[in-house]
Amino acid sequence: MTRKRNKDQVTGSESDPVDPEEKGLSRRDFVKGGAAVGAGAAVISEPGRVEASEHGDEMEWHYEADIVVIGAGCTGIPAAIRAHDLGASVLVLDQNFDAGGRMAHSGSWVSLGGGDAVQVRDANGETDAEGFINVDPLVSPEALDDDVDLLFKDVTDWSVLDEQGYAYYRFNNPDQHRGWAENCPPTREFLMDNYIRFARINGTHFGGGVSRARAASCFLMLGEVTDIKNGTITPEDAGVADPERSSAFCPRQLSISADRTNVNAVHGGGAMARCLEFSAREKGVRFMFNRHMDELIRDHNGQIIGVRASYTPRHDPDTGEQLTSYWSAGNIDETRETINVRARRAVVVGAGGHAGNPAFRSQFYPRMNEPWYPTSGYALLGYGRGQDASGIIAGINVGASLDGLHQNFGRRTYHIQTRIGTRDAYTDMYPGHPTFPFRKSAGFDIGQSGFEHLIAVNQVGKRFFNEMRLADEPIEPRWPGGQPHGVPNEWDNHTPYDWRNCRREWVREMYHFSHGVDAAVQINEGSIGPEYYSGPIWAIFDQAAVDRGQFELREPYFSSENGCFFQADTIEELIEKIYAGNEYQRMRPNYLVDTVNQWNSYVDQGEDPDFERGQSDAPMHRIDQPPYYAASIMVVWHDSYGGLRINRNCQVLDMQGNPIPGLYAGGESSGGGQMHGLGRATVHGYIAGTHAVNGGVVGESR
Amino acid sequence: MNRTGFSVAGAAGVILAVTAFGARAQDDGAAFDQGRTIYEQNCAQCHQPSGEGIPPSFPALAGNDNLEDPALIVNNVRNGRQAMPAFPDLGAEEIAAVATYVRSAWSNDYGAVSADEVSEILQTLDGEGEDGDQAAQTTIWDGVYTQSQADDARLIYIGACAACHGTRLNGAPAEADMGSGPPLAGPAFLREWGGRSVAALFEYTRSTMPQRNPGQYSDQQYADIIAYMLSYGDAPAGDTPLPADISELSNIIIEAEDG
Repeated sequence: MTRKRNKDQVTGSESDPVDPEEKGLSRRDFVKGGAAVGAGAAVISEPGRVEASEHGDEMEWHYEADIVVIGAGCTGIPAAIRAHDLGASVLVLDQNFDAGGRMAHSGSWVSLGGGDAVQVRDANGETDAEGFINVDPLVSPEALDDDVDLLFKDVTDWSVLDEQGYAYYRFNNPDQHRGWAENCPPTREFLMDNYIRFARINGTHFGGGVSRARAASCFLMLGEVTDIKNGTITPEDAGVADPERSSAFCPRQLSISADRTNVNAVHGGGAMARCLEFSAREKGVRFMFNRHMDELIRDHNGQIIGVRASYTPRHDPDTGEQLTSYWSAGNIDETRETINVRARRAVVVGAGGHAGNPAFRSQFYPRMNEPWYPTSGYALLGYGRGQDASGIIAGINVGASLDGLHQNFGRRTYHIQTRIGTRDAYTDMYPGHPTFPFRKSAGFDIGQSGFEHLIAVNQVGKRFFNEMRLADEPIEPRWPGGQPHGVPNEWDNHTPYDWRNCRREWVREMYHFSHGVDAAVQINEGSIGPEYYSGPIWAIFDQAAVDRGQFELREPYFSSENGCFFQADTIEELIEKIYAGNEYQRMRPNYLVDTVNQWNSYVDQGEDPDFERGQSDAPMHRIDQPPYYAASIMVVWHDSYGGLRINRNCQVLDMQGNPIPGLYAGGESSGGGQMHGLGRATVHGYIAGTHAVNGGVVGESR
Repeated sequence: MNRTGFSVAGAAGVILAVTAFGARAQDDGAAFDQGRTIYEQNCAQCHQPSGEGIPPSFPALAGNDNLEDPALIVNNVRNGRQAMPAFPDLGAEEIAAVATYVRSAWSNDYGAVSADEVSEILQTLDGEGEDGDQAAQTTIWDGVYTQSQADDARLIYIGACAACHGTRLNGAPAEADMGSGPPLAGPAFLREWGGRSVAALFEYTRSTMPQRNPGQYSDQQYADIIAYMLSYGDAPAGDTPLPADISELSNIIIEAEDG
C-alpha cells in the first residue's frame, strides 16, 4: 500500500494489494467480467452507457461492479471482503477521505458469542495462534459455555430492564436477531481470517445479553514497525508514544492492553479498522473515497441497480490542503461532481446511522434538533455528512420500511459528556491526525466528580440542573449481571424470559434515573420559534477551580479558536466573549452575572434551593477568583438505534414486509435491535456480503 | 444502588487469612440471644425473621455460604453494602453477637464469632493500630513508597484501571463507553478515603478490581498500583517500597496533606 511516510514499514511487497491494472486486467476485461463473476477478479468498469433494466431504460453509468457497498466502516468493509471472497467484484464508496468510519474511533470491543472461536479458545485456557496473549483467561469456562440458542434467547430476553425500567431487548426484531446469532460464530472466524487479533474475552457489550461473556477487543503488539501481517504497530502509529499526539494511522490513541492481552499490546478502533481495511485492499476490494451516496436507483421492476453519488472532498481548514486516505492501493480517484454506479447484483448500505442529522434524529426526540450538538466523532467523519441518515433516507425513498425507531431511548444514546472544551466531546483526538484541525481541541475530561468545581448554565446564562447529577447515565444491564449491572441475579443465576427479572420490587429497588440531559436541551428564555433551539451550555468556573481540579488549560486540550473555551477577567467580559466567539450562541448569556452572584450566596448558605445541590453531593465552591472561564459542555448523540427494517439476511424490507430486490443494509443504517455497535455491524456485513452473492436475487446474467 | 461509593463490603474476605484470632468465647449462648434481639430490631425487616430475605433485593441469610467469612459480615454491618445501610453505632461486642446469631440460627452452622475477632477486623479496616495509638502511625505524606515502584506500575495502571478511572486518575474514563469512575487521586479521593488505612484501600482494590476480573494481579502489583496513585496525588516518595502486607499497611493513614 502506498503511503508517503512509511510505506516500507507498513507492508512488505508481498502484502501490497495488487492493483488490477498491474494484474493484467484491462478496462475491457472489467466490462467482460461483468457477465460472470470471476474469482478474485476486481471488476470495476467504466462502461459508458448500458441498459439499466429489462425495460430498456437508458442510463449513463460511470462505474459498475457486482456489489456496491456504501460506507467503508464496520458493516461495509466486512461485507466487501466477504462478497469478494465469494468471487464478486466489489466497489466501496465512502463520503469521507479515508476508511474506517466510526469503527476507527471505537474501542474495538466486538461482542459476538454463540460459542465463537474466541470463547472456545479462552474456555480451553489457550493463547492466540501467534502466542501474543500472555494473560490467563479473564472469564471462567462456564461463562464462555455459549451456544446460538442461548445467545438468541439472551438478545430477545423481554424480562431484562435497564435502570429506567426500560426493556429494550423486548423490542428486538426476532427474525433479524436469529440470523445475527447464527452468524456470530462464523463472523468471529471470518474477522480472525482477516488480520483481526482478539484479546481475552472480558465481558459483554451492552445489548449482547446477560448470560455469557462474549466481547473481546482487537489488539496489535507494539513493535519497531507497523506490519499488519505480523501484528505489530509502532508506538507512534498507536498514539502511545506521546500522550498529546494521535497519528494518521489511528485517529484515537490506542489503549495499553495490559489487563486483557499483554503489557506490550495495544487495543482500540485503529487496531481493528486498519487491519480489516488492509485485508480488503490486499484482496482487491476497490475503494472510492470522497463519494457520498445520494440516491438509490431502481429499475421498473423495483430492483435496486445502482446509486447516484456526489463528490465530497475534505480540505484542511487551516491550510486548504485536500485530505487523502492513509493507504491508496485500490483507490479509484474520481472527481466528477455526480456519478452513477451500477450494481450488477446488489447495493449494501452500511452508511452509518442518523445521529449526525439533527432534522432526522429530532423525529425521535424533538429537543435534539439543536445543530450545535453533533454526533460523536464528527471531526473524523465530517460535520453534517458523517452519520447523516443518508442511507436510511435513500432506503425510504425506494419504499423501505423502518424498524426500532424508539430504541434510541433504551440506553439513552444522547447524553452529557464529562469532557469539556471541545465540540467533539465523546472521544479525545490529538494533533497528528489530519482531522484534528476540525476540532482544534482534544477537550479535557473532568469526570463526573470534576463538576463540583463549576456551575453549568444555558444559553441565557441560567443554571438548569444539579451539576453533580448532570452527566449521570443509567447502568446498562449485561454480563456478569447482578446488582452492579442492573440485573437482579448474576449471569449464572439469570434465567432469560423469567418474569421475576422485572418484578415490581426489583424495579423499585434498582430504579435510577436522572434527567440532566433533558433539562439541558429544553426550551428556555432564549429559545425562539419555530425551532426553539436550546443553544449551547457552558461550564463556568474560576481560577481557584482550575487549581483545585488540576484542569490543564492549554493546547491541545483547550483552544481559543473553536468557540468552546473563553477566559476573561470579569463575568461581564466573559458574557461578551461567549456571544462573540460561538456562532450557535444566538444571544448574550446576560443572566450570568446574577447567576454567579446567586450561586456564591448559596455556597455561603451551604445549600442550593434552586436545584438542591448540597454538601452531600460534593463541597460547594464560590466562583470569585479571576480569571473566569467558560468551557463548552456537550450533549452528544452517539449511537443510532433505529433505521431500515431488515430480515435475517439483511435484506431491506418494504412496507409489506417483502425484500426490496438488490438492497441490503446493516449496522447503524438498520434498525430493530438494541444489539448495536461492532458486533451488530460486522455480523450484518458478513451476512449481507454472503447473501448478496450466494443467495441474492436472480437477474439477467446470474 | 451504589454506583460510585467505595464500599469495603465484600472486600474483606482476605483479611481473615492474616488476622490471628483469639480464643473463642465459651458462652456462645448469651451472645446468640443478644444477637437475636439485635437482629430482630435491625435486620429482620429486610432479611426476614426466617432469614429467608426477599430475593433478589434482600438476600437470604439462611444457608448463605458468604457467612463463613466473619470479616464480610463485620464490613457489611459497619459500612453497609448497596441497599444495606451501615450500622456505625454497633460496637464490637454487638456485631459479634449478631454475627454469631446469623451464623448459628435457622439451619446455619458457621460457628460463633468473638468480640475480639470483630475488634481485630475493625482495627484493620479502620486503620487503627493494634493498640489504637494514632500518634504512632504514619500517613501517606511520610514517604511510604518509592518513585521507581510508582513509575513501574504506570503501564499496569493505564492498562487495568484507566478505562474507568482515567489516565489522570480523576475518574474520567479513558474508554468512551465507560461511565465515570471514582477519582483515585486529588481532593475527592482524599475525602472518600480520608481517615482510613492504606490496608483498607489495598484490600478493597485487590478484592474488587479490576471490576471485570478482581484479583488479576499479584499482591505486590496491587501495592505498586497504590504507590502510583499516591505518586500521582503528589504524596512524596521515600526510600522503602509500599509493602503488600496488611498489618504494615494498616499503620499508614490516608488523609489530606494538611491533615
